[in-house]
Amino acid sequence: MKTYDLELIGVGKTYETGAPAVSDFNLNVEKGEFIAFLGPSGCGKTTTLRMIAGFESITTGDIFIGGRRINDMPPERRPTSTIFQNYALFPHMSVRRNVGYGLDVKGVPKAERDRKVDRMLATLGLDDIADARPTRLSGGQRQRIALARGLVVEPEILLLDEPLGALDANLRRAIQAELKLLQVNLGITFIFVTHAQSEALTMSDRIVVMNNGRIEQVSTPRDLYTRPRTPFVANFIGRNTILPGTLAAVDGTLGRVTTTFGTFTGAIDSAAMGTGREAAVVVPAEAFTMEPSRGPAAGAGVPGGNALDARIESRSVVGPIVRFDLAVEGGQSVMLEGHRDRYGEDFAAGTPVRVTWDASKATVIPAAAH
Amino acid sequence: MHAPALKPVLAIYTGLFLLFLYGPMLVLAILSFQTGPEGGPQFPIVEWSTYWYRDLAGLNPPSRIAPLPIESGLFRSLTLAFMTTLVSTTLGVMSAQAFRKKFAGSGIVFYLIVLGMMVPGVLVGLGTALLSNTFGVDRHWWSTAFVLHVVYTFPFAFLVMLAIFNRFDSSIEEAAWSLGVTPIRTFRKITFPLIFPGVLSAMLFCFTLSYDEFSRTLFTSGRDLTLPLAIYGTFSVEIHPNIFAFGVLTTLFSLCLLVVYAVLMTASVRRARQTALQEEA
Repeated sequence: MKTYDLELIGVGKTYETGAPAVSDFNLNVEKGEFIAFLGPSGCGKTTTLRMIAGFESITTGDIFIGGRRINDMPPERRPTSTIFQNYALFPHMSVRRNVGYGLDVKGVPKAERDRKVDRMLATLGLDDIADARPTRLSGGQRQRIALARGLVVEPEILLLDEPLGALDANLRRAIQAELKLLQVNLGITFIFVTHAQSEALTMSDRIVVMNNGRIEQVSTPRDLYTRPRTPFVANFIGRNTILPGTLAAVDGTLGRVTTTFGTFTGAIDSAAMGTGREAAVVVPAEAFTMEPSRGPAAGAGVPGGNALDARIESRSVVGPIVRFDLAVEGGQSVMLEGHRDRYGEDFAAGTPVRVTWDASKATVIPAAAH
Repeated sequence: MHAPALKPVLAIYTGLFLLFLYGPMLVLAILSFQTGPEGGPQFPIVEWSTYWYRDLAGLNPPSRIAPLPIESGLFRSLTLAFMTTLVSTTLGVMSAQAFRKKFAGSGIVFYLIVLGMMVPGVLVGLGTALLSNTFGVDRHWWSTAFVLHVVYTFPFAFLVMLAIFNRFDSSIEEAAWSLGVTPIRTFRKITFPLIFPGVLSAMLFCFTLSYDEFSRTLFTSGRDLTLPLAIYGTFSVEIHPNIFAFGVLTTLFSLCLLVVYAVLMTASVRRARQTALQEEA
């Protein structure tokens, strides 16, 4: 049997009040992977991270690190380090002492400790402030110190709890890039909790989307973006239009969904669903193309293909991208975006248009979660 | 304030408040400089002198006025206050630490602890005296009275520490654990230095409360008197301004304690404020 760096099997947590925080969490993580836990606040992502770190007890299931079951191991004996959003530095110690404290406690000889601390300080560009008190430093510097402190003890897994949440946007981007580079160079497994999807999408190898204490989907950033598997993910990630209906037929990799606006097709994971059940076609905003309508809008759907008649409600330009909100008669709204060169001034609000899309870029998902 | 008429009223109120707070002390301080040995504890001041201060130090020629019987009382009260401070603060820190996590029956335990400062001292003192008689336990300032002093001051230390822990960022401790630091070492090296200003406040509370505790001590200290009891005892004979002189000296001593406390506190608070400012930045 393959040994993973981190393995969570059926992990669940129920609070003493009886409220479930996390249920049936299953995940296998390879050595050196960058995993993001993404979801709205209160979805259980931080609780899961804290269970891995050992700060929270586990109600059900098992956690393995490198094949070793760690359910009942206290945090100080787990091969993990945690980075907190508020840095959690020791305010009464200098930067150097903060970084070296973990090694000091482990009884690493002074010469070796100094060497490792110096190297880590240099890696994160902290040499100049090594003797300062952390309370005098900026947020970015303090988060670097926290990283140095967590990494110098050479954990097998680094756990990061919204580590960039307290930083401003520019600094956040800079540290994102630094963090990713650091992770690739060190080859350490990173588990990164965030509620910012851009952060998860740019840095991680795989993203675990959570909602209401459950995993919604585990995918690479690209798959998550183009192939959502649940309505929650389709709503939460990117800008998707969701067309609800009933699954009429499955034809190989394509599913046909009957909606009140017509019958549409999209890629389907046929193993997951049978015909006759409620389903939806999810279309990413950039998968649509539109043309000005010839003649009056048909109102109802267009039979036979992936096409909809709609009217432009609003148009907004974001750099080279134009974003449209369209309305289909019957209440369905459609989000569309494309390049400014393609959609000029003639696509003004109020214009009737015909929207089409390639079936392979749309995804058929079950309507209700699980 | 949006009501301008309120301002003079508040000013008068504050003035009266300060007068009642410091007036008696001021009168005592003035009268302590009365001449001796013939000058009495009342106005007018016959002649300014430091006679009664010298009297306390035993520098005056013998006279009909007996020296204040406070020397051993002072020693006992300081020792008792010191022991009480140590024990109550330790207990207070430990129990407040326990209350950081909800445990079964924590609500009841909380009220049981706080009860120690709520119940009237006379009742507890009397009850303890009766109890010790029943069980044949001798009453001493260092045994029965000491226990009651701890019961009385421990809730104060506990409440102070509870407030301190309430604002304590426990992710600092979690960070230490995740670096491989054991919980005990984390408490000694990380938590304790950070809560130290609070510990200092708790100690100050315990010391001052124990130092001038009267009613509980009255019933339980047995034969040897503590300072407040000794001073009270002198009232029943005849009052001389030497008590006032002693009062001035103890007040100065308390002020010294406060100054030490303020200096230590300012240092800690300055550090904490810098942290807070950085947090906002």
